[in-house]
Amino acid sequence: MKKKEFKVEDKLRLILVGNPNSGKSTLFNSLTGLNQRIGNFPGVTVEKKIGSVKINYQIDAEVIDLPGTYSLSPRSEDERVTFEYLSDNTRTDLPELIVVVADASNLKRNLLLATQLIDSEQPTILVLNMMDVVERNKQNIDIEKLQKRLGIPVVPMNARLGKGTKELKATIAAYQYQQAEKFIEDHESKDALQNTIYRFEKIKGIIAETLTKEGESRTATITRKIDNVFTHPVWGFAIFLFILFLIFQAIFSWSSYPMEWIENGFLVLGNFIAETLPSGVLNDLLVDGVLAGLGGIVIFIPQIAMLFMFIAILEDTGYLSRVSFLTDALLKRFGLNGRSIIPLLGGAACAVPAIMSARIIANKKERLLTIFVTPLISCSARIPVYTLLIALVIPADKQFLSFNLQGIIMMGLYLLGFAAALVTAAVMKYVVKSKERSHFVMELPIYRTPRWTNIGMTILNKTKLFLFEAGKIIIAVSIVLWVLSSYGPGEKMADIDAKYETVLADSNADLTVINEQIATEKLEVSYAGHIGKFIEPAIRPLGFDWKIGIAIITSFAAREVFVGTMATLYTVGDDENTEGIKAKMQRATFSDTGEKVYTRATGYSLLIFYAFALQCMATVAIVVKETGGWKWPIIQLVYMGALAYFSSLLIFQIFS
Amino acid sequence: MKSNLADYKVGDRVILKNVLDAQLTIQLYSMGCVVGEEILVERKAPFGDPIIISVEDSFISLRKDDAKKMEVELS
Repeated sequence: MKKKEFKVEDKLRLILVGNPNSGKSTLFNSLTGLNQRIGNFPGVTVEKKIGSVKINYQIDAEVIDLPGTYSLSPRSEDERVTFEYLSDNTRTDLPELIVVVADASNLKRNLLLATQLIDSEQPTILVLNMMDVVERNKQNIDIEKLQKRLGIPVVPMNARLGKGTKELKATIAAYQYQQAEKFIEDHESKDALQNTIYRFEKIKGIIAETLTKEGESRTATITRKIDNVFTHPVWGFAIFLFILFLIFQAIFSWSSYPMEWIENGFLVLGNFIAETLPSGVLNDLLVDGVLAGLGGIVIFIPQIAMLFMFIAILEDTGYLSRVSFLTDALLKRFGLNGRSIIPLLGGAACAVPAIMSARIIANKKERLLTIFVTPLISCSARIPVYTLLIALVIPADKQFLSFNLQGIIMMGLYLLGFAAALVTAAVMKYVVKSKERSHFVMELPIYRTPRWTNIGMTILNKTKLFLFEAGKIIIAVSIVLWVLSSYGPGEKMADIDAKYETVLADSNADLTVINEQIATEKLEVSYAGHIGKFIEPAIRPLGFDWKIGIAIITSFAAREVFVGTMATLYTVGDDENTEGIKAKMQRATFSDTGEKVYTRATGYSLLIFYAFALQCMATVAIVVKETGGWKWPIIQLVYMGALAYFSSLLIFQIFS
Repeated sequence: MKSNLADYKVGDRVILKNVLDAQLTIQLYSMGCVVGEEILVERKAPFGDPIIISVEDSFISLRKDDAKKMEVELS
């Protein structure tokens, strides 16, 4: 790292760094409030939070919140980003001041990063956060002396209550760079290990001089008591499963209202545009292509935001790391890691953010395996498909051991996805070679009540990121699919228009029905229809006809498109009217044999297909980004496709 | 006599003497688990894996394999 000039005129950049759980994000939120946005670091999907704050009447600051790190020797993708950002000396637009946020109640290890930064000769100040915990633990820190020993300004704070913000701003405004005495001379620090050992020797000396302690730590005692239950070999698991159950219950019951509003909102908007804009290709493209595609993803926002909320709460309280502890022994056997549980849980809402969250796994192989199997977890986009198909083949009143059979099958599909993820990981464990030794060294933070502002910000930022990342792709693919299903080879499209011209002119005709009929016939002769017919021989052994073939193709962008396509194919005027689609689908027959299409066998076969196949462009795109190439997403696509195909084949042959 | 951390039972207090893996050393050090520190064995999952230890009120979870690489002495 190179020394940079530090001279502030009216604007500077504050770079927040600190250990995980040091309250860095709380400080960031309390400084910037809503003046923040989220972006990505170039080349990686690690989030970069940027905000702004007024330091005094004269100085404005841009604030960058870097991912938490324990030291400048990066272990995971997150930490590497922090390291690279700090090492980058090509940014010269603004004077930069590093603010190291340290958990004062854990001073020794929090000082490691601070001393490394002091030695890098960059302008640095130290924030001692969580001073309230220090007081509660009956400790005392001599700030003056610490300041003198470190050679940089030290500001005690309680970011959670906003205490010390004024002092921090004053310190920033008055900051002058002064060469501090180096902790470790360059010749001593060649080896990262030796460097760390030397550093801790010196830090211990500083701590001995500045920190006084009386008696046991209260916070640790409380945490131990809670952990007696939460990490208990039996109760711990029982509680975890119960929390999971509550979360899914909440997600599915609470989100149904906002989802309905969104659906209706898009319908209204679609109708509005369809009627306002002059009719024609552009109108169709906007309404049937872009808006339909966008609506298909926005509708999942309530469920996804809610899952983010629950995960954020579990994480912020410190509970999630206990879940990692509980599940590590199990997941290790499958080549995963206790930390994989976080992406696997998130995968139940949406694989895209879940795959992004896998970067907290330091071991490359375990991270890759986690990314590879996460899309097998049944995500919220599968719900509408499952719901329609289950309703189609299982009567609502049918019971199994006095439980509703539809519900059992739904749950079974979730369990199946989870089991497939584990089995796949176990196989991949032998395929992917790695010399890196697997560690599972993880800090278990003390339990805390959730910091609601942080949680609110997390939900807002992550949801936004998801919407834009997935939205871009879905819109693009929706347009392509719209073209494929709106145009066809030859004159057939025009022929259909000609055929219905006289009927449409008849004022007595029911226009909606006829228009739907036209749409169906057109779809059959469109490019998409041709593709559907073309692949029919391949999917016939699974019990699928060409219409399902079209739906599989159109829902490649996103699974939920399946329902919309079925609605179009079976000439149902109202998309919401599943009863209508259901009735028509139940009557459908194969054109050559005249047999019913939707038997129980086809239903099960199709359910399995959607449980396993990687029918999601957004997932493919995120895996390309996260693994840095096309190799793994292609293997994943082929593998999941093959798994879906052969499982469906097997299921269909068994049940038919 | 030197022994490794995995041999100790819940409630034991030991002093860390050496870590036999460079990568692991850095990870432990950055979490405050340094040679010369007193480690308390807090908790063990079934079959002794993983383990929770505490160093000066910091709780750290690690695998049995990691613990085997940590040479310790009873304090």
